[in-house]
Amino acid sequence: MANYYDIDDILAEEELIPSVFQHDANGVGLFDSSDDTNKVEAGSRVELPFWLVRELYLRQFISIRVPSCFDRDSKTREEIGADAAHVDLRSRCPYFYELGCKIAPLVGDKTIGPFLLVAFRIRYREVLIKAHTLTLAVAPKYLTLLTNEEAKLYEAGQSSIAAFKKWRMGGPRFQIAPVLGRKRKLT
Amino acid sequence: MYGRKATELVKEFASSEPGQLSTFNNDVFAQVLEECNGHLLHLEPLMMNIQENENKLRDKRSEEEMGMSEDERGNSEAEKMLIQSAIKSDQFGALIHHLSLLRNKRCLMAYVYNRAEVIRNLGWMVDSVLPEEIEEKLSGTEKEYFKKHANTLQSYMAEVDLHLTVDMVPPKDPYIKVRVLDDIGEVVLSDQVANLARHAIMFLRRTDAEQYITQGQMEELTS
Repeated sequence: MANYYDIDDILAEEELIPSVFQHDANGVGLFDSSDDTNKVEAGSRVELPFWLVRELYLRQFISIRVPSCFDRDSKTREEIGADAAHVDLRSRCPYFYELGCKIAPLVGDKTIGPFLLVAFRIRYREVLIKAHTLTLAVAPKYLTLLTNEEAKLYEAGQSSIAAFKKWRMGGPRFQIAPVLGRKRKLT
Repeated sequence: MYGRKATELVKEFASSEPGQLSTFNNDVFAQVLEECNGHLLHLEPLMMNIQENENKLRDKRSEEEMGMSEDERGNSEAEKMLIQSAIKSDQFGALIHHLSLLRNKRCLMAYVYNRAEVIRNLGWMVDSVLPEEIEEKLSGTEKEYFKKHANTLQSYMAEVDLHLTVDMVPPKDPYIKVRVLDDIGEVVLSDQVANLARHAIMFLRRTDAEQYITQGQMEELTS
């Protein structure tokens, strides 16, 4: 398990998974507050966040469907197969890889792992190239396609390029001592 | 849906710039705590129900052992099934509440922990007193935390007799180029006697210039 305090891990576990209740649940006004019975019937279809799904699924209280972006014959898989680099993963699942890694062992689908790897490999190359070449004007548009992790890689790529350029040009002779920069930042 | 508010809190932290704080969200924080109490209220009767039903089940079993006719046996089987299913429903509900509690706890802890980390870092960047606009974003306990952390840092630095918070990045050059913003006049510096007239641009020793810069009488020129 990732770090307990890891913000990204927490948010990744908030992603919704379509699930079906296999059993009645008492005392849970989970989805419809207008419902007085305070009970969820077996067979109810709901989207539950992953942090709830993992334990419930392991205890066989619910059955789940793999989210559509990981599904075996989903559109996403076809698109990734066609041209992974330009698929808009962000709108489908901003924590695509993290969630994929969490859900694969849970449902025991052996094809998810290789699928993630292929997607990441192709997209990673594209991210690095784009980090080099994109101008500021086009970058925001490209960033909307990336998952959170990829966006971080993109930024890391950009900053290392900036650092490299600075080093090659010789850079400014003086480094600003933090004490000196401070005063003006505050005002 | 359970856990929404708590996630909101974490999202809020995630969306602020790294290393910067937004105002401590007392409202949502309190709402999450309230939600936790609500979960507990739901959880307790469920646990009681489970206990009761389990007792009933045990009674039935002991009755069976005493011996009974075929007819009764069939009846009691059916009853047992019913009770078992009720137990399972209660357990299901209880589990959901339990998980929601854990989730809320994790979100709250992460929120507080990550903010504390930012606050600790602030201790290295500003001296022991926080600027007002940052201080008003902290909660009461966070203010105290900062104060104590700053004090600890100060006492450690006093112990080793070294001012650690100065120059986190080693300066490349002892001299810097500054522009004088105010008429300061003739001053004896550590290595020279300089006439610090307004708008003059000069090379000074960094240690000399620092005090003027913090007072706003000079600014550093970066090439």
